[in-house]
Amino acid sequence: MFRRHVSKELSAYLHGELSAVDARRVASHLQDCARCQKEFDEIKLGGALAASLHRVAAPDALWGEIEAQLKGVQIKRERAVSPPAARPWFPAILAWPPVVAVCAALLVVSAAGFAWLYLRPARPPAWTVARIAGTPITDSGRINKTGRLAVGEWLETDGASRARIKVADIGEVEVGPNSRVRLVATRATEHRLALARGRLEAQINAPPRLFIVDTPTVTAVDYGCAYTLEVDDTGGSILHVTAGWVALETKDRESFVPAGAVCETRPGKGPGTPYFDDVSPEFREALKKFDFEDGGAASLDVVLSETRLYDTLTLWHLLRRVDEDQRGRIYDHMAELVPPPPEVTREGIIQLNPHMLALWRGELEGFWE
Amino acid sequence: MTGSPEQSTAAAEREAECRVIDACRDGDMAAFQRLFEAYKDRVYSIALHYSGDDATAKDISQQVFMKLFNRIGQFRRDAEFATWLYRIVVNTCMDEHRRRRRFVPVSHTVEAREMSARESQENSYIRREIDSAVRAAIAELKPKLRMPILLKYVEGLSYDEIAEALSCSKGTVASRLNRGHKALAQRLAHLRSALVAEE
Repeated sequence: MFRRHVSKELSAYLHGELSAVDARRVASHLQDCARCQKEFDEIKLGGALAASLHRVAAPDALWGEIEAQLKGVQIKRERAVSPPAARPWFPAILAWPPVVAVCAALLVVSAAGFAWLYLRPARPPAWTVARIAGTPITDSGRINKTGRLAVGEWLETDGASRARIKVADIGEVEVGPNSRVRLVATRATEHRLALARGRLEAQINAPPRLFIVDTPTVTAVDYGCAYTLEVDDTGGSILHVTAGWVALETKDRESFVPAGAVCETRPGKGPGTPYFDDVSPEFREALKKFDFEDGGAASLDVVLSETRLYDTLTLWHLLRRVDEDQRGRIYDHMAELVPPPPEVTREGIIQLNPHMLALWRGELEGFWE
Repeated sequence: MTGSPEQSTAAAEREAECRVIDACRDGDMAAFQRLFEAYKDRVYSIALHYSGDDATAKDISQQVFMKLFNRIGQFRRDAEFATWLYRIVVNTCMDEHRRRRRFVPVSHTVEAREMSARESQENSYIRREIDSAVRAAIAELKPKLRMPILLKYVEGLSYDEIAEALSCSKGTVASRLNRGHKALAQRLAHLRSALVAEE
């Protein structure tokens, strides 16, 4: 008979946070289900370990330092002059007859605008671009306040310019200085930009793989997220994800990058191995050597020695990028940090068994997000 | 109808706290010092366990109390003051983490000022080893798994209170605690027998 496992409720059960009915259901399930019982043992061990944490007394000097800062704030406040009270503006405007006339005129102009919009000849699909600073330029001309970026057109910014593009109805892209971006396609199934150089910052709220950015060396595929992508003059890029996931893809390699992680790409090398942005400088340097300078086993040694629990993100990607001997070493190190599910074997991972890789990744993703 | 003695005491304490908060709103420094004394250990403990570093924890604590002083006018009486304060602590820790990107691993200074109630336990070598290993493992957790563990185990908050402090749902709290527990258990599986022996 089908039984719903209770693994997601085990911490709440341990802490007495479930309703009486749910607690009874979980208790009853635990009696019969070895898998959930094993997980519960793990949760209990985690809880017992965490219970050794306790409150620590603040240092005595803390108040003195805060008090000194507070006195500074108080002096500033006392010196500040209270601003005059704001006068209500809305009734005054209503009482001003010419404004009514202006509103009426605006209504007429808007109606005419709507009529023109519906009757004009069809134009190629375009996105709205707003100037943030400087003078961004599209193929159709300068953008003073807002403008259009039609399919096939380029948007270019100089060192003092920035612009914001509205990506259909799924988000926004801010284009930084010295950037060159082209709108490649916009339709229900795909919204695609090309970033030839410079920097963009994307905020997208859409199903996976709907928003795509091509760069000279790699394609960034959005999985519902926020990120920055910079392309240098050689075509190399650096991706920094701040929410959700982004996949960097070439014909023969892909890197999955979650929030908080970074991935570099170099011409002729494809996407490098993603890493979390708070890794040690030694880790970062060794990984760069491994990815782009044939750093080999020596670099891998440094990476392994600097790996924390959630750096298994990096090790996970390295599994596919090393030979079998090194893969065995990586497996051993990862298994020590996060033991694989029972179905996953060392041999299977060394053979890159897709099913086992997927199972283990499922276990690991919880630590990466 | 009157409540139990415990309820009466809690209501009186809350009323006293409200008076202190009102005085703080008026810029009363002595009242603010009373508020500081009441909450300094809670704030500092989370900051220290979160950052793993004494100097960073002091920085965070100072920032928290300065924000508290500047924003106390925004506190609404229908909310729980402690939960509101925890939210400031959480946001300040996260901001500081983003700014520094990499906190230094747990320093031995954590052990130097632990509360007296635990002192006898700390004399045990095994207990010290466990404590130290746990703090190191906590520092390795991702911030969003680390904070619920601290609010639960250092501060003893309920899931509802943690959810409010983290501005997330109770389900998310349960899920993050689940993952946090598993991460600790997997990282420190070798301490299982030491824990059992201690019991």
